[in-house]
Amino acid sequence: MCASVKYNIRGPALIPRMKTKHRIYYITLFSIVLLGLIATGMFQFWPHSIESSNDWNVEKRSVRDVPVVRLPADSPIPERGDLSCRMHTCFDVYRCGFNPKNKIKVYIYALKKYVDDFGVSVSNTISREYNELLMAISDSDYYTDDINRACLFVPSIDVLNQNTLRIKETAQALAQLSRWDRGSNHLLFNMLPGGPPDYNTALDVPRDRALLAGGGFSTWTYRQGYDVSIPVYSPLSAEVDLPEKGPGRSFALEATFCVVLRGARLGQAVLSDVLQAGCVPVVIADSYILPFSEVLDWKRASVVVPEEKMSDVYSILQSIPQRQIEEMQRQARWFWEAYFQSIKAIALATLQIINDRIYPYAAISYEEWNDPPVVKWGSVSNPLFLPLIPPQSQGFTAIVLTYDRVESLFRVITEVSKVPSLSKLLVVWNNQNKNPPEDSLWPKIRVPLKVVRTAENKLSNRFFPYDEIETEAVLAIDDDIIMLTSDELQFGYEVWREFPDRLVGYPGRLHLWDHEMNKWKYESEWTNEVSMVLTGAAFYHKYFNYLYTYKMPGDIKNWVDAHMNCEDIAMNFLVANVTGKAVIKVTPRKKFKCPECTAIDGLSLDQTHMVERSECINKFASVFGTMPLKVVEHRADPVLYKDDFPEKLKSFPNIGSL
Amino acid sequence: MQSWRRRKSLWLALSASWLLLVLLGGFSLLRLALPPRPQPGASQGWPRWLDAELLQSFSQPRELPEDTASPPQAPHGGSCNWEACFDTSKCRGDGLKVFVYPAVGPISETHRRILASIEGSRFHTFSPAGACLLLLLSLDAQTGECSSMPLQWNRGRNHLVLRLYPAACPRTFQLGQAMVAEASPTVDSFRPGFDVALPFLPEAHPLRGGAPGQLRQHSPQPGVALLALEEERGGWRTADTGSSACPWDGRCEQDPGPGQTQHQETLPNATFCLISGHRPEAASRFLQALQVLAALQEMSPARVLALRQQTQFLWDAYFSSVEKVIHTTLEVIQDRIFGTSAHPSLLWNSPPGALLALSTFSTSPQDFPFYHLQQGSRPEGRFSALIWVAPPGQPPLKLIQAVAGSQHCAQILVLWSNERPLPSRWPETAVPLTVIDGHRKVSDRFYPYSTIRTDAILSLDARSSLSTSEVDFAFLVWQSFPERMVGFLTLSHFWDEAHGGWGYTAERTNEFSMVLTTAAFYHRYYHTLFTHSLPKALRTLADEAPTCVDVLMNFIVAAVTKLPPIKVPYGKQRQEAAPLAPGGPGPRSKPQAPAPDCINQLAAAFGHMPLLSSCLRLDPVLFKDPVSVQRKKYRSLEKP
Repeated sequence: MCASVKYNIRGPALIPRMKTKHRIYYITLFSIVLLGLIATGMFQFWPHSIESSNDWNVEKRSVRDVPVVRLPADSPIPERGDLSCRMHTCFDVYRCGFNPKNKIKVYIYALKKYVDDFGVSVSNTISREYNELLMAISDSDYYTDDINRACLFVPSIDVLNQNTLRIKETAQALAQLSRWDRGSNHLLFNMLPGGPPDYNTALDVPRDRALLAGGGFSTWTYRQGYDVSIPVYSPLSAEVDLPEKGPGRSFALEATFCVVLRGARLGQAVLSDVLQAGCVPVVIADSYILPFSEVLDWKRASVVVPEEKMSDVYSILQSIPQRQIEEMQRQARWFWEAYFQSIKAIALATLQIINDRIYPYAAISYEEWNDPPVVKWGSVSNPLFLPLIPPQSQGFTAIVLTYDRVESLFRVITEVSKVPSLSKLLVVWNNQNKNPPEDSLWPKIRVPLKVVRTAENKLSNRFFPYDEIETEAVLAIDDDIIMLTSDELQFGYEVWREFPDRLVGYPGRLHLWDHEMNKWKYESEWTNEVSMVLTGAAFYHKYFNYLYTYKMPGDIKNWVDAHMNCEDIAMNFLVANVTGKAVIKVTPRKKFKCPECTAIDGLSLDQTHMVERSECINKFASVFGTMPLKVVEHRADPVLYKDDFPEKLKSFPNIGSL
Repeated sequence: MQSWRRRKSLWLALSASWLLLVLLGGFSLLRLALPPRPQPGASQGWPRWLDAELLQSFSQPRELPEDTASPPQAPHGGSCNWEACFDTSKCRGDGLKVFVYPAVGPISETHRRILASIEGSRFHTFSPAGACLLLLLSLDAQTGECSSMPLQWNRGRNHLVLRLYPAACPRTFQLGQAMVAEASPTVDSFRPGFDVALPFLPEAHPLRGGAPGQLRQHSPQPGVALLALEEERGGWRTADTGSSACPWDGRCEQDPGPGQTQHQETLPNATFCLISGHRPEAASRFLQALQVLAALQEMSPARVLALRQQTQFLWDAYFSSVEKVIHTTLEVIQDRIFGTSAHPSLLWNSPPGALLALSTFSTSPQDFPFYHLQQGSRPEGRFSALIWVAPPGQPPLKLIQAVAGSQHCAQILVLWSNERPLPSRWPETAVPLTVIDGHRKVSDRFYPYSTIRTDAILSLDARSSLSTSEVDFAFLVWQSFPERMVGFLTLSHFWDEAHGGWGYTAERTNEFSMVLTTAAFYHRYYHTLFTHSLPKALRTLADEAPTCVDVLMNFIVAAVTKLPPIKVPYGKQRQEAAPLAPGGPGPRSKPQAPAPDCINQLAAAFGHMPLLSSCLRLDPVLFKDPVSVQRKKYRSLEKP
């Protein structure tokens, strides 16, 4: 816009020689345009006071000014709660639909004040906590203001505390909600159910098929897989900063175990205080359904003692090992932080549980619900956790990355094709300026040979999960690795079968901490330790190709492609990080490219090469936020390697010693 | 001409300016014209009340109810929960002890085998008075063996009625307070936390062992069907990733046609299988399955991978045999009794599973050899050497010195299993040395002595001969594989066609499947497993045929890990000079009568052959490399 304005200002100077009539005409025209533009521009940047004040009017109202709804005495009352309700019988999941985010849509009815025929109100309009709860839902990703798109409806009728309600009239108020439909897909929150003298363990308001998020369910009233048991919010929890000031809490801070006894109601707000103090709750309340027990593993954070065994509490607690107690305390504190500490936390956990039921395939895992952050950080869940030795018959796919060293490439192909378990050979042709040799020129081998041409000369092309890879085992091999024998490669495949979740490779390398420079250093010397194997010649599971291509953390993948280096180190980091396991170096082989080379291989002696590789390690360690590589002191050799045993009886006699 | 050109550019400039004006102005006008509708989400959400601060709390301290004594009551008298209907006071001491009502009259083979499997378990007791759970088998009605109400019924209290097969006996008496374990219970009758849901077992389900899972690779094979679903007529249909999914509105109008699906008689090779649950409305399931397809297609490869493996683990751990199903049921009930010392969830849900990870050993996962990765922990950096001194029994002074020389050695235990009196003098060692007077039984070697505090045990025979660097290197290797046995000398098993059975040999071969426990590192948990979970008959077998104990120990570890053991290098000269195994390096060179049969007896008792072969040995990185020995950390391993 700025540029055009300037242009227009200079405009008149362009027309000096025209007739005056035309000139005036043009100047007037330009002026109008100019003015219009300026006005538009000003309007764009002018504070939109009109709208803002309007918003302000919409939001800031008083609770006392909400519309009043009169409930005739004979208006319909819902059926009592249906104890046989389950998600597949009383909940219409089709309302939620299949959506890519796998998130339910929640609608909140507008707040109204309900009065009976005499104008007497049915309940308190709304409590502080229920207001907070609805606000939390409204601010969450679940919220929708479109009643037609919603799959879960939350009435704004506050039933948190049954004692503040007139039961029949509240039920009538529910029944007249616009989408009530016997209460299907409606969610009620209640923390204090029942009333004197017998204190029912679930809300007494007739609610037909509505879901109940209740604090204080017993096994008799809780509809497993339908209702949600929630904590009784402790108003004391609001004073987060001053936990020791709460009455009765000083004891909890010092105690290891805190007894939570059943009162008239099963759900006790004190449970929340106890968890906050990191005290392990000893719950003595028969048949009580602990909060969020559908997803929370209370065995890890509490001790449940049957009431008739109350006298044994002391001996039960004494039998718990110290380490387990410490874990329970940590767990108790974590439950409080994640699911108890605020009304918002309670509301969101409730919706998440319902969401998990509707989209079970996208549900949050047990670990995510239960493991405290410190455990989540420290633990590794190996994607290939099942101990399984893949059958030899599957074989492996060799993937050769090449640019233009055709002669050397053909030699590698010929050598690799001698390996009995090779099932396919894939050449990744990374040169866009040159066509691969004609079909007739390629070596004739006994297995299928496919050439994949890439769009760009990128190192990460070697780790792409090509559809052509039909085996689980992949052998990545450079086009100049000509020294590996067929025995060595076949043995490497056998070793991979025993360690299918690891990188199993030939050239071994090490990372070291450089105390002088205070950073990591790359080492390729003759060391007694190994922490990496180079993917110039290594077997691994094809799943890691998927991880490398789509799940590599940070900018590592682009960084590698830009620097044309260290894709192998990146792969080592990735696999070690996701499996928590070390690599396996196979066979003593140290020379791979030429028999005459004196060094381990020509490249390694190059000083700049070493510096660059060290840089890579430091870069990757900072992106991963940790050093995942594991150092080991062993390598895998055939059982009878260098044993005094007839060579011809050995399965893998041709193992080079260098 | 020039003026025309000028005029043209002028007009161009002018029209461009107009266009800009119209565009910008248009937007502004549009905004003015439309009512200032608040943005969705931000301002249409729950209102921020002016007087929110003044709202009252839902619970006022003064209205907190007074305590009342009566616990909540069951709405119908017949319903039960754990606290109300199970008396745990009978289970003090030994934990779960199970009495099984004997069958009345002739019994079927299945019934007999199930009885045998319970009687063989560690839970069993013959005394109904000493039992805390009384088990009533309710099997097939065809043989007419429906049980009548048993003597100690007591309204069903502390009883478990086990119905392995559907359409079992009609209820001849009220179940009362008895727990029911049955396949496919209905939601209405099932009492969570009290009853036990069982898998549906076909008649031909194997009693023990059971077929291993059929998964041969971790990830789905490319080109395999995405979804298989059971049809009403009993066949199977498959649907591929290419099948177009119906929109998620509950109603699919047209049949997708034969092009996208295929009909098959047997369970096809597919990534997912849809289980219809044998309901009458199953006919419509197929269309709904296509909606499932959409969800499955969205699923990430990581999740598919995890689900596939978990199905195999669950099958192997809990489902593959009748014995596993029954033991799992009892383990579930025992966990309820144990309360805080029950299996943590991790032990149930990750390999090797709760039947093989005993919660009586520990409730902390990091104490086991299996969960270090998930726990972010690592095994302890020290080991205990346990040296067994069998007759003739010379104190193994040289061996003690070599082992004590290892920087990782925490203590040395000498298990004196010998008629000769204990020597009064033992060598001075840097680490504590304890002598245990054993019971002269081979199985003593694998008792979980409370003095063993380290995770790792180096099990040794007095006649073994090891160097300090051999010990050091082997221990380092063990730390990388704490769930496996790491040994020096090996045995390998083979199928003997001539005898139609298994055999094993100590001859050097290209593969091995067992390591001798007379010089091996392993986790101390395997002592607990050996002593407390093996059927007594197997331990007796080991006592009677001492060479069998190596095989037995390897069976246990292989059955738990489903992996072969690990071999590390061993000075070969001494191997020939001083054989490690008691009574010779192997059964072949010095045959002992029960030895060849040992492996077949064990395979029968385990129900399958758990041993797996390995073709590799883990050597130090520079082992026998043509490089200066000065560079090598374990140079003494290479001495001829």
